[in-house]
Amino acid sequence: MQLKKPIGSSLAAATCGLLGVLPAAPVAAQEAPDWEIDSSLLYYGEDNNRVTDGSLMISARRRLDEDRSYNLTLTVDSLTGATPSGAVPANVVQTFTGPSGGGSYVVQPGETPYDTNFLDTRIALSGSWNQALGDAMRYGIGFSSSDEYDYLHLGLNGRLERDFNNRNTTVFVGAAFGQDKVKPVGGTPVGLAPMFGEDDENEEDDDEDRNVDLTKDVVDVLFGVTQVLSRRSLLELSFSYGQSDGYLTDPYKILSVVDPLTGAPVPGLEDEVPYLYLYEKRPDSRAKQSLFAEWRHAFDRDSMAINFRLMDDDWGVQSQTVDARYRWNINDDSYLEPHLRYYTQSAADFYRTVLFQGDPQPDFASADHRLADMGAYTAGFKYGRRTQRGEFSIRLEYYRQEGDPSPGSAVGDLASFELVPPLTAIIAQFGYKFRF
Amino acid sequence: MNRRLQIAILALAVAVAAGCAEVKPWERDLHARADMKADQHDAAIDDHIYFSKEASSGGRGFAGGGCGCN
Repeated sequence: MQLKKPIGSSLAAATCGLLGVLPAAPVAAQEAPDWEIDSSLLYYGEDNNRVTDGSLMISARRRLDEDRSYNLTLTVDSLTGATPSGAVPANVVQTFTGPSGGGSYVVQPGETPYDTNFLDTRIALSGSWNQALGDAMRYGIGFSSSDEYDYLHLGLNGRLERDFNNRNTTVFVGAAFGQDKVKPVGGTPVGLAPMFGEDDENEEDDDEDRNVDLTKDVVDVLFGVTQVLSRRSLLELSFSYGQSDGYLTDPYKILSVVDPLTGAPVPGLEDEVPYLYLYEKRPDSRAKQSLFAEWRHAFDRDSMAINFRLMDDDWGVQSQTVDARYRWNINDDSYLEPHLRYYTQSAADFYRTVLFQGDPQPDFASADHRLADMGAYTAGFKYGRRTQRGEFSIRLEYYRQEGDPSPGSAVGDLASFELVPPLTAIIAQFGYKFRF
Repeated sequence: MNRRLQIAILALAVAVAAGCAEVKPWERDLHARADMKADQHDAAIDDHIYFSKEASSGGRGFAGGGCGCN
């Protein structure tokens, strides 16, 4: 294959580039470079010694000519810390079994039970090939993959764009298919079955069932339009539909079973941990749909972007998201970009803070706070400084998530505890991108 | 699809159709500015964080997943 050196910027390439999400020819005053490298170093830290994530992401994009480019992105994540197990605080000392029936941990009276065995390294690699098809069409095909100790993802995706109306309108369609393999540490627990103690005599009998790899298939389709509204404004609208089938349960999450009057934990049976906890169970399919709209506006010096997302799914979750950024171009070399985001969601139908002793067992139940009624906001800023070849940036964000700390299910003792603890996280990101 | 989504789609489609004054190629200087495009890394990192902490995902791109974090 002969590699053509990209020729200098042309207006056609410039106008094409701003219309789609597919990376298109960058606007350059001189000869366009071959390679673009984008790197980010991320720190994500939650309060109360919860999750800490250190992450490195590097993308390389090579333009072969004005019409063709490819992109590779490598991400390495290292996660440590504790996550809420789903069990609720109690007035007694609670003992839980870690994954694999070992590594039990003890939670003091009144404290939120956190699973402290959370530790993972994730490596993700994705790539795409993007090409123009004549003057008005472009396509991109790509793959995605990621590997964790207990999780493997492989996926393919594609996207097609076509310009209309003198490139004032771009219509796009996309599809993605992913197949994920889940291999929980210590085997897959049976949904809504009790948590056993460390010396689990039943474990060997169950080993065959518990060590089978579980899969999850995800199909996404997306279509939308980008419309130039004026010399200064651009609007993007898209609708996406995602269908997941397979094992969608979190194998590490549990629910407390409590007395319906006192709210005290119910004693476990022989072989079980001292109190009764059930593993969570979610439906094995989920259909999500989202509507996304983004408006971008250029001022003489600055610009702004605001987007909205409505999502709902057949688990009963409905969410609304608003995200706004204002880019203050301080001078030719530096900018400051404040950012605000607000998010709110309703609980999944099967979300339960606790299960009550004596109630009929539900088909599905999860106490995962991420499926609860809650709201969250993010406030932060990004500062960027251009250099001769590239750009440095730092981004600092504050994230706060709050659910109802004492929902209606907070009977007896539970009324005095924080059943859905708030979450505060700091996101710090350092970026450097350059071209050559 | 619920009614609220249908109404929102319709309203936005009307807004787009109404606002389509054609902009000529030589009037694209402001659109061509780098700050008129989302930063791909920031978007990917944010999607990943919020996907692992909230019940929603997707919108801008694929809802996907590819992570045991949720």
